[in-house]
Order: sequence, then C-alpha cells, then structure tokens
Amino acid sequence: MRSPEPILSIQGLKKHFKLPTKGFFGREKPVVRAVDGITFDVIPGETLGIVGESGCGKSTTARLIIDLIHRDAGAILFEGKAMGEALSPKEYRRHVQMVFQDSFASLNPRMIVRDIIAFGPMVHGMPQKEAEELAYSLLTKVGLDPARFAGRYPHELSGGQRQRVNIARALAFRPKVLILDEAVSALDKSVEAQVLNLLTDLKAEFNLTYLFISHDLNVVRYISDRVMVMYLGECVEIGPVDEVYAHPRHPYTRALLSAMPSMDPDKRTMEPPLAGDPPNPINPPPGCRFHTRCRFAEDVCGTVSPVPTVRGSMHFAACHIGTPGSGHSRAGETT
Amino acid sequence: MAATVLPVPFERSPGYWANVWRRFRREKLAVFAGCVLLAILLMAIFAPYIAPKDPTFGTMLRRLRPIGTPGFPLGSDELGRDMLSRLIYGARLSLFMGVVPVFIAFFIGSVIGIAAGYIGGAFNMVVMRIIDVFFAFPSVLLAIALSGAMGAGITNGLISLTVVFIPPIARIAESVTTGVRKLDYVEAARASGASAFTVVRTQVLGNVIGPIFVYATSLISVSMILASGLSFLGLGVRPPEPEWGLMLNTLRTAIYVQPWVAALPGLFIFITSIAFNLLSDGLRTALDVKD
Amino acid sequence: MSVSPIVSVRDLTVTFKGPPDVHAVNGVSFDLAPGEVLGILGESGSGKSVTLKTLLRLLPEKRTTIGGTISVAGQDVVALQGRALADYRGRVASMVFQDPALALDPVFTVGQQISEAVIRHEGVSKAEARKRALEMLERVRIPSPARRLDAYPHEMSGGMRQRAMIALALACRPKLLLADEPTTALDATVQIQILLLLRELQRDFGMSVIFVTHDIGAAVEVSDRLAVMYAGKFVETGGVRDILRDPRHPYTRGLLAANLHGAEKGTRLEAIPGAPPALHEAPTSCSFAPRCRHAEERCHHALPPVVPLGEARNVRCILAEAARQDA
Repeated sequence: MRSPEPILSIQGLKKHFKLPTKGFFGREKPVVRAVDGITFDVIPGETLGIVGESGCGKSTTARLIIDLIHRDAGAILFEGKAMGEALSPKEYRRHVQMVFQDSFASLNPRMIVRDIIAFGPMVHGMPQKEAEELAYSLLTKVGLDPARFAGRYPHELSGGQRQRVNIARALAFRPKVLILDEAVSALDKSVEAQVLNLLTDLKAEFNLTYLFISHDLNVVRYISDRVMVMYLGECVEIGPVDEVYAHPRHPYTRALLSAMPSMDPDKRTMEPPLAGDPPNPINPPPGCRFHTRCRFAEDVCGTVSPVPTVRGSMHFAACHIGTPGSGHSRAGETT
Repeated sequence: MAATVLPVPFERSPGYWANVWRRFRREKLAVFAGCVLLAILLMAIFAPYIAPKDPTFGTMLRRLRPIGTPGFPLGSDELGRDMLSRLIYGARLSLFMGVVPVFIAFFIGSVIGIAAGYIGGAFNMVVMRIIDVFFAFPSVLLAIALSGAMGAGITNGLISLTVVFIPPIARIAESVTTGVRKLDYVEAARASGASAFTVVRTQVLGNVIGPIFVYATSLISVSMILASGLSFLGLGVRPPEPEWGLMLNTLRTAIYVQPWVAALPGLFIFITSIAFNLLSDGLRTALDVKD
Repeated sequence: MSVSPIVSVRDLTVTFKGPPDVHAVNGVSFDLAPGEVLGILGESGSGKSVTLKTLLRLLPEKRTTIGGTISVAGQDVVALQGRALADYRGRVASMVFQDPALALDPVFTVGQQISEAVIRHEGVSKAEARKRALEMLERVRIPSPARRLDAYPHEMSGGMRQRAMIALALACRPKLLLADEPTTALDATVQIQILLLLRELQRDFGMSVIFVTHDIGAAVEVSDRLAVMYAGKFVETGGVRDILRDPRHPYTRGLLAANLHGAEKGTRLEAIPGAPPALHEAPTSCSFAPRCRHAEERCHHALPPVVPLGEARNVRCILAEAARQDA
C-alpha cells in the first residue's frame, strides 16, 4: 500500500547544543545531542503521538519543527515544499502552529484574551476589526463565552481555560498542522479530559493534523493514530499506535510500556523493566544508544547503529534484533 | 455554525495599570512621598508667584541673618539674599537636574538594554562588556571626570549625569529582557511569524518597562545628589543661579556663623531625595503583580 | 478491627488565613492500621497535600488554623510543641516529597545528612550513624553506596536523589511514612522503580504509609486502601479493589475515566465539566454538585450524607444512599 502524500516531512533533523563550560584549549566542548538525525512523515489528518522520557529530545523536536530553534542539519518539508527555501518561514508558520505546555507562561500577562488571539492574524495582515471578530468566534469554538472571557487577563483564568485560549490562539492562523507539546500534561485529570474532547472536536471541524507530544502513554494511545518513540535524540520505533502498544518491537518501547502502572491491584508490576535513570544526552553511548540498559545487548549493539527496519504496514523499529544479517545472535527474529 | 459572534459587549477586566494604581494607593508612605514631591514641583513651577523676594537680589547690609528675622523668614545667605526665595527658586534647577538626566538615560538605556537582551548572542556580549567598562568607575567619580573634561555649566552637567545613568539602566533592562525573552508567550509570538520589532513592541516592552521604570525612579535621588555635588564642586550650575547644591557650597563658609541657615539647602535635598526613594519603593511594590 | 490504629484523624479542618481565607481541609476523619498503606487521591487544590503536611505539622503556624484531632502512635500531634515536635518528626513520622531539594541540604553530603538524623534521634556514635547511613543507601538500592555516601545531592541523578531522600526519611525507622507525590516528577521507567522500592521497604519495615498522589496508576501500585479527596473532604474511601471495580461517587468515576486506561479510541471521554471550587468559605452543601450530572436540588442545599458501604468503605453521596436502600 502506498501511503498518502505527507503533509509534513521531517528529514534528518539534527540539533546539537554546545555547552559553554569546560572547553579549555582545544579540548572539545561537551555537546548535547538533543536531536540527532530523526526522519519521519506526518500524514494529512492523522494524529502522530511522540513519546519518550525527559532528555529524549521530543520538546526540542517540536521547537525545531516550528523553527523556534534553528536546526543544525536536515530539512522540513511542508506539502512537499522545503521550509526556508520554496516556502518562507513566515508563510510556513501560518500552516504549522504550536500549543505550549505551560499555559501561564505562554500567555502575555499584559494582554487581554481577545488581543492575544487576534495578534497572530494581525501579524499576517488581517485588519484589526476582522481579527477581533475572529477571536470572538474562536473563543466560542474552544468553549469560552466571549462576553465573559474576551476582556480577561490570563491570570484571571484557570489552567484549563488558559489552555483553551492557547489553542484558540494557535487556531487563529487557520493552521493545517498543530503541534501540541505536552499541551494537557499540566492540567488536572478531570480538566485534561475536557481539553482532549475539545481537541478531538476541533480536529474534525478544522481538518487538522496533530503532532501530539506527551509523556503520558495512556493519553497518547487514546488520541493518536500513529506513535513515535524517542530515546536520547533518536527515533527508536514508529508505527500505528495499536500495533506498537500491542506488539512493541524495540526493547525500549517494551520497557516503557511495561513501566505503566497496571491499574489492577491483583496484577501489580513486580519487576521494574529498567534499572537506573535515562542517561544524559551529553556524549551518548556509541552504537545503539539503548545498549547500556538493554537486556538483549550484544557486542554488535555497542558498535553499530541499528537501521530502522519495517514490519507490517509502516511499523519501523531500530533494533539489531529483527534486522536480518545485523550480527546480533537473534538477528531476523520477529519479536 | 454562525460565521461570527457579534457584537460582543464583553466584560473587561481592569487593566494592568489600573491594578498598579490600586496597589499604589495602598502604600501610604509612598503616597505621602508623592504628595511631598507634588508640593515641591508646584513650588518650583509657581516660584515667581510664591517667592517673596528676588532670589538674586542681595544687600551686604543684611548678610547671614538667622531664621525668623523679620522680612527673612528663613534668614539670608552670605550675600544677603533671601533664603526662602532662593530655596523656592532653587527647586527648579535641582528638580530639573534630578529628573531630566534620569529621564533621558531611561530612554537610551532601555533601548540599549532591551536590544541587547532580545538579540542576545555576540551582540549582547559586546554591548554589555562596554557597559561594564563604565561600571569600573564609581558614579560620582565618573560624573566629576566628565563634567571636568567638558567644563562647568548646566548643559554639560546634564550630559555627564545622563552618561553616568545609562549603564545601570541598560544593565537592568538587559537582565529583565533576557528573562522575558525566554518565556513561552514571546516564543509563541515569534512562532506567529511576527518581526523582531513587532514582538518587542507588543510582547516584550509592556513586561519589561515597569521594572526598568522603577529602577530609574530610584536613580532620581542619586542624580539630585550628584548634581548638587557637581554644583558644590563648581562644576554644575554657576552662581548666581539658585540651586540647592550650589547654595550648600557657597554657604559652607557660614557654617559656624549661621549653622541652621547653612543647613537648609541640605535639608531640602535630603527631603526631596528621600521622597523620590519612597515613591520608587511604593512603585516597586505596586508593579510587582503576581497573582 | 482488633488492632489499634497507628494514625487516627477526627474531623480535621485546616484553614489558611487570607485574604482571602482558604478552607483547604473540611472535616477529614480516618484511621490507619499499622503496616497499612493509604493512598489519598485528588487533584490540585483538593487538600491532599495539606492533610499530609498537617500530619507532620509542616504548615506555617501563623497563617494556619487546625481543627479536630490527630493522633499518631498515641501522640496528640496538634498539641506537640518544640522539642517534642522535633522528636516526633523523623522518629515517629517522616516525609518524602516530590522535589528532593526540599529534603536534602545541598551543602552537606548524603552520608552526613543521614548520619546527623540518626545521631539526633538515637544518640548513637558517629561511626555507628555512618554505618546506618551506608546500610540505608544499600536498602534503597543506590549503586556503589559506599562511594555515594560522600556525594553531594547535586552530584546524583534525579532518580538517585529520590532514593537518597527515601533513605534519609527512613533512617530512624519511623512508624509512619508520609509520601507527597514522590514519583510525580519522575520519568515513567524511573517512577515504577521508586514505586516498587517504596512497596518493598514498606513491607520490610512494616511501617504505615500515606501516599498522596494525583496519579491513580501510582496509587493503585502501592495502596491497600484509597481515599478520594475533593474540596477538602474524603468523598469516597475503601479498599483499592472495591474502589477500582465499583466506584460509587460520581467524582471517583470521572477520575477513573479521565485516566484513559483502556479508554476506547474515538469515543468521547466522559469528562467532568467545570473546575474545582475556590474554597473561600467552608462548604455547606456538596462541593461537587455544580459539576455533577446526577445532582439534585438537595445536593445544593445540604451536605451529603456519609454512607457506609461495608467495612471501611464510605461514600459521601446521595447516590450511594439510594443504592443502599435498594439493596
């Protein structure tokens, strides 16, 4: 089956941060390989979940995609056009918008809600009056009564209401892709469910494509069509969410999934799937980055980086197990 | 779904500055200081109507009269001029020399600091290191050196004081802006595709100007004292203009004859600068909106 | 129940002086048996952390008014003062936090901090205390514990700091451990390690634990009993199995649904509308009624009854009352 033309194509995205300290006299400065060459496509109309632990580079990926930090290497193609070349960054940003995690820090405390939402369209040349009308109608769409909320300042709203304003602000551009960077993580569970419902409704109404970044595996399973698992700046597995959750192929994905609390007092987790903390992305291990914590690791894993291999429709995993001829004793096994 | 929801007569919250004003009014001491300053300002503006005598006319027959002398309620100075009139007129130049250099420095320093803070990187580095050079000198010394190099006079005094106040204001502006720049709402505005200038104007400015302003008001008292100091050293205002610092200088020889009269200009400088500081403290509290 | 409880709380109220006043805890009563683990589940502002901090008297004295009684291991906690309070903290009850920075002093090594706590409470020699510190680090499974004894908190990774804090809290073998969201800030794979560690230590030391969290999954992993807290009251208490399989309070149901465990894709979530109340006044009616689909007229006018449903199972809702009458 030929997959449909991607709306967003990320190719070899890379960002290394140099640390300012400890770089004496030619000794190499330590480098954080925050995002180290990730490639994936986003299909129009889907929700692609991105999961991983802190330091895996999922938030950096979001900021790279929206070009808030500039990439060191790689290309971002929107509907086949390269951002920064065929497509100007300003134009690109009309189509790709982002909702931030911290609902308070992401709203200007000195602006009323209406002006916060109207700001973006006005930057793109919409007359003020029209932009304000748009703001009122978007407030209604995200479930906030304009008569009550348009004139409020962010600190007068609750966390859930602020996140609704954030969503309205992003929608004001009429974007096609919305990046949600831990957008519901800071909310209380009962409020989170409201916002998830809202996101589902808006997606249908505005024909949106979501990039849903979260550390909460339950939420990602609920909302996503496909999921990408990141570990230390790399994509280790990507595939349809049900398939990945039911048959994870990468040992890290498996560990992550079995670290989820069981929600059943009679089937409590007895053994932690991994020991220790995730390693620091400064000078990550060579070869497969997970080999230092992987119970199946062999010599080859410490030297050769695994190449993503396919199984099933669009289910890729980067692991020597499952890669025929990789040199791993269990190479080619279907796990 | 209806295309738009109109018209919307929405409830509007009291604005930020309305809240600041509400908080400021609760600061009793600052309000009192504000009233004192207002009185001094009115005194300066309406000096010709209030002052009983010509501040520059003196008679050698009535030199150094004590406080309470008929016709000289606050005594007379070493040239027989009426102290009350000179003090009233003196408020004009003293306030001027206190407020204007800080005001100009507030604009220039803010622009430099906000630019350095927002642009960051190498530009920030260069600008801030240049600013640091000025910090190597104590502000009094710097003001004296600059005034000394340019020569006495009000304009030169003004310029040297302005130069003295630009670095500290720029530094505060830089640090506040650097903090705000990293916040998500600035990022969100950048992600909207807005130009750097628009982002600074609409998102950054309103959030940094308050703290910078508070800091600047705290410098007014310093400026007044420095200006007085320059005049005292003969570098600022020149006689016979009435100015508190200069009056303090010329009266110092009379300190053993009429100590109370000689101390009066100093008292006025003291009261005014304290009032500015209290006002600044009140503003600081009022601007610190967190909830 | 034959065993006398180690913790007994009756009608606990906690009010913070304003302006505006906040009635954070509004009549909480519970018993905790020795060796029992109680999970208090609630969202931000529900009063769960305040309840926990009150048990250790960690709230600012001047702003706080505590009502009701708290008895821990026979001591009247509300009346404790000075020396007695210092002895109580760490020795009878101790606490682990979400942020280890609250418990670990950055200028002392982990070993020094644990030794000092042991010396203060048990008056043993320095060498003895250091031995205990090493033993504790081994117990919490810190790799190469002898070396970590002389490490400063900032030299450790997040999960390791969490372990060090647990070691410090348990160094004097308290009878009661209060855990305030100890795993919330941690990554999934580290969180499960800490949860399992807490479970293991609880079993080995036989201590009682009160585990406060907003994460149902974490609560289920460690708790014997659950208390669901809303607007400063326990709205539902019971065994963890009972609550999970048969939640009776509409709020509990909403919370369980919002966890999304096994939520059907593409179906709408049964979200609880609205937001929790601000609690500037003590509630005089059901605090959940404005958000409740089943609310009746009387819910808005009077406090709901506490309906006992079997052993140690209480629900503060008229629905439970109706269900009981049917049965």
